[in-house]
Amino acid sequence: MSRLLRISLAAIAVSAAVPVYAQSVTITTAGGDYGNAMKEAMWAPAAKELGYDVREETQSDGLAALKMQVTAGAVTTDIIHLGSPEGAQAAAQSLLEPLDYKIIDPNSVPAGAKSDYCYPFDSYGTVMSWSTKTYGENPPKTWAEFWDVAKFPGRRALRANAQDLIEIALLSDGVAPADVYPTLSTPEGLARAIKRLEAIKPNVSVWWTSGAQSAQLLKDGEADLVVTWNGRAQTVKADGGSVDYTFKGSVIGTDCLGVPKGAPNKEAAMKLIAAMTQPARVAKLTDFIAYGPVNPAGYEGGLIPQDRLKTLATAPENVGTSVFSNADWWVKNGEAAQKAFDEMMGR
Amino acid sequence: MTIAADPALAAGARSERRFFLALSLPALVIVGLAAILPILWIIRQSFLTTGGEYTVGNYEKVLSSGLTWSALITTVELSLGTLAFCILLGTPLALALASVRPRVANLLMAFVMLPLWTSILVRTYGWLVLLRRDGLINAALTGSGLTAEPLPLVYNFTGTLIGMVHYMLPLFLLPVYAAMRDIDANLVRASASMGATLGQVIRTVILPLSAGGIFSGSMIVFIYTIGFFITPAVLGGGKVNPLSIRIERTLSTFQDWGSASVLGILLLVLMALVGAMFLVARRLVARNKVGAAHA
Repeated sequence: MSRLLRISLAAIAVSAAVPVYAQSVTITTAGGDYGNAMKEAMWAPAAKELGYDVREETQSDGLAALKMQVTAGAVTTDIIHLGSPEGAQAAAQSLLEPLDYKIIDPNSVPAGAKSDYCYPFDSYGTVMSWSTKTYGENPPKTWAEFWDVAKFPGRRALRANAQDLIEIALLSDGVAPADVYPTLSTPEGLARAIKRLEAIKPNVSVWWTSGAQSAQLLKDGEADLVVTWNGRAQTVKADGGSVDYTFKGSVIGTDCLGVPKGAPNKEAAMKLIAAMTQPARVAKLTDFIAYGPVNPAGYEGGLIPQDRLKTLATAPENVGTSVFSNADWWVKNGEAAQKAFDEMMGR
Repeated sequence: MTIAADPALAAGARSERRFFLALSLPALVIVGLAAILPILWIIRQSFLTTGGEYTVGNYEKVLSSGLTWSALITTVELSLGTLAFCILLGTPLALALASVRPRVANLLMAFVMLPLWTSILVRTYGWLVLLRRDGLINAALTGSGLTAEPLPLVYNFTGTLIGMVHYMLPLFLLPVYAAMRDIDANLVRASASMGATLGQVIRTVILPLSAGGIFSGSMIVFIYTIGFFITPAVLGGGKVNPLSIRIERTLSTFQDWGSASVLGILLLVLMALVGAMFLVARRLVARNKVGAAHA
């Protein structure tokens, strides 16, 4: 009897000890305000629901970190947050596991944004922002006017990267949003975009390299017209900076979540991605940062307050004049475009 | 000479050498693991395609690109510019420090060293606050009516150079100060008593005797600045693109490890060349000095 008691006690002890070892998942985000927003709105509540123990790592350059981990055969992260162009690039270099669409709902993403490797969950626009101190009630309204230095004198700041800028350059040159990628796919089209950028170059006082820097330039009044991401412009505006911006002609990009090839907890990672991107959670993300859900269900049922819709790139009324950044085009042509851009910068 | 003559002493010297070699072994192992191995890895990487096959394509691609050469020129311009300002500002400062009373010198030295102990990132952003359009310096200039428009002090070559000189000045100063402090004060007095003017004393006594320190300082400045990244990245406004920034871009935008490795090797070769040039120049100067002393 006492032996049986001891065995059953041992059995109870073992079974009680097991749940202590919760499934652990490591997620790599960009950190900062954005990383915190993702934690608060998305993965922390999802982890609680699933009973996962989630560890966060931060990396400002997700793709480089991903490549380092996968090629070194020392993958420590289970989920990585990337821009969709980087996601497509990572997929092309087979750095990502295919998404498990048995766990993740494939119909939660509009057809144009779908990816087999990196799940797009939020969106932003590369927008035109301006100092209301300099332009008051009469800022440039189109990219053509942004380029018009005679009518709108002032210091410009652009990102030191071809991404989005070559699309914008063509928009400024009168190319219709739907024709941007067909035009860019011809050698003359790319040359036309680069030539357009070269024309504005003398009026560009800063070529910024990080989103934080672009926000600082706006805040300090270092530049009067800044091409930046809408979230950055919105943050400066909300902090009382004399800044405004428009989604007219914005280039819409998405960020996505992928699972590195050889991730230690692959299945748990897929489950966490599915849970953290539920409509209510991606809608909640907009409480913290103005990156609208890719999943249209995020806009349904009043999950997002009406007055916030105008700050979100994918909000129904904002999409009209914009171009969706085409990740596949960038994977195919990105290096040539960036090289042409860098050479233009060096001239 | 006498050691070579006495076999017992020679054996003792040999065993002493072995002992010191053994003492430095752990350090050599660390250097081997932390410096030599990664360099070998980079060299191997530079001959690999993204698919992992051996190729010389990376070298062709990098060396035939105009971007590489303009980055190389920017790198050398930044290093030479920094060096020139360090010599212009640092040498008189070292002279002043070496000629005041030790207690005052120590106090002044603390002021020189203080920025050295501050993180380079903090200092670089500090310059941003001072130099930008509505920064302290421009506010003072336009406020006092000295200039009508704010000066373009940052997000360009000027701003980058200011940040780099500020970072390197203490590192230049230390060896120069050490060399000047060691000059026998009697030599200065002797030359003065024989009627040398201050300019002559500096030119014919102090500068030749501190040349070693100035060379060491210059070498430190040049070799350090060749690899500078943060300062041009933050203060250059995207317009100042030395090799270090080219490497970062090649890695982060293109994930092209092969080409980035080639650029890294280029940087290494540049450093080795400059280091060798300094060593040769130093030897020549030393020989001249000895020659002059004998003459």
